[in-house]
Amino acid sequence: MVQVVVPGFLAAQADGRRHFDVEAETVGEAMRALPAADLLFNERGEWNRYLNVFVDGRDARERGGPACPLAGAREVLIVAMLAGG
Amino acid sequence: MAVGVLALVGTRKGLFLLERDDDRRGWRVDGPVLDGWGVYHAAVDARDGTFYAAANHVVYGPTVQRSADGGKTWERSKKIGLPAWSGLTVNAAWHIAPGRPQQPGTLYLGADPGVLFRSDDAGETWQPNPGILEHPTRKHWFPGAGGLCCDSIQLDPGDPQRMYVCITSAGTLRSEDGGQTWLPVNKNVAHDYLPNPYPDIGQCVHKLLLHPARPERLWQQNHFGVYRSDNRGDSWERLDGNGLPTSFGYPIMIDPKDPDKAFVIPERSPEYHYSPNGRLAVYRTRDGGQTWEEMSDGLPGQAWAAVLREASASDADSLYFGTQSGSFFALAEGERWVEAARHLPPILSVEVTQWSR
Repeated sequence: MVQVVVPGFLAAQADGRRHFDVEAETVGEAMRALPAADLLFNERGEWNRYLNVFVDGRDARERGGPACPLAGAREVLIVAMLAGG
Repeated sequence: MAVGVLALVGTRKGLFLLERDDDRRGWRVDGPVLDGWGVYHAAVDARDGTFYAAANHVVYGPTVQRSADGGKTWERSKKIGLPAWSGLTVNAAWHIAPGRPQQPGTLYLGADPGVLFRSDDAGETWQPNPGILEHPTRKHWFPGAGGLCCDSIQLDPGDPQRMYVCITSAGTLRSEDGGQTWLPVNKNVAHDYLPNPYPDIGQCVHKLLLHPARPERLWQQNHFGVYRSDNRGDSWERLDGNGLPTSFGYPIMIDPKDPDKAFVIPERSPEYHYSPNGRLAVYRTRDGGQTWEEMSDGLPGQAWAAVLREASASDADSLYFGTQSGSFFALAEGERWVEAARHLPPILSVEVTQWSR
């Protein structure tokens, strides 16, 4: 079981929940288990380009992106791009 | 039961619902709903009252959203997408058009990259139109700064098989067989930047409207001029002399009662998207575009406003438009503009409907 933490905007699309406990072997599986998963991927199944995903503090892109293994992981943190004025 | 006007005002940060009672005294502003979404266009399906919105987010992508309870709660359509073989992905949802009265549950969606979707299950799922997706001229289309957007969808009320779409920059395409095949109809429509300024395809149509009372008559505000066609797009007449300060602008409005009337909101030039001479004004023709007159009573004396292609609407009684500065204007009795709301986020789209509660 791993806990997925989503940004506030995404939580607003999922009844306000920011934390989800999911069973998944990879980051991609964990993200697809979320109630607003359609907002995380394009029609090719690729992550939207402005999403960053960290597994226990490490950038998932350095470990295979969606294929990043979750064995032993505690937290998947999804962070949207920062935007400024 | 009071009957009034409901304006769906899409902004960069959500959808606002502006309601005017039939006493015309004022507007009530509700919202935002779809908070945080860029609402490129929203419309009410007159067949059943469902609200639909083409809502986009820079991080979370393009969506279609619908509400069966007047905007209180919203549901996303299933993911809109294009087949892998096309090599294309959907960049933005642009324009929603409910289908014909005799086709309940059918809707159309214009999207970037120059694609048309159809739904036959009231917006639950959307299928790309093969005739547009695989159009033989697609290699000659190219996107503008807003993308390769399909921003106009017009259904001929007199012929259930005829419809039009406009794509920036492909031009106007007409179908006579219910959307199976599409013919470019851009004769005499200029593209001043190209070596051949009158190509068959590649025009930059900003907005196209069909007149419901005379459906063979089409109006378009183009990147390079204002045009009218009286033969379903077979040929076009350029109309932007005789009173218009510039030929450039995005929106166009029509009077559903009078096919000879149209309204545009000129901007300075393709390089400078704001009111010419610091003066926001709507220009009206009452003679099919031969002459134009300014309508600025009630508009600010100084303004450098920009009005986007989806950000105007009209009904039998009035005209409506919103600016990127967050002001929403409606034409009141006496042909005076009233600023019904101000300080909204940048306005992307405006639609109006009769509304009762």
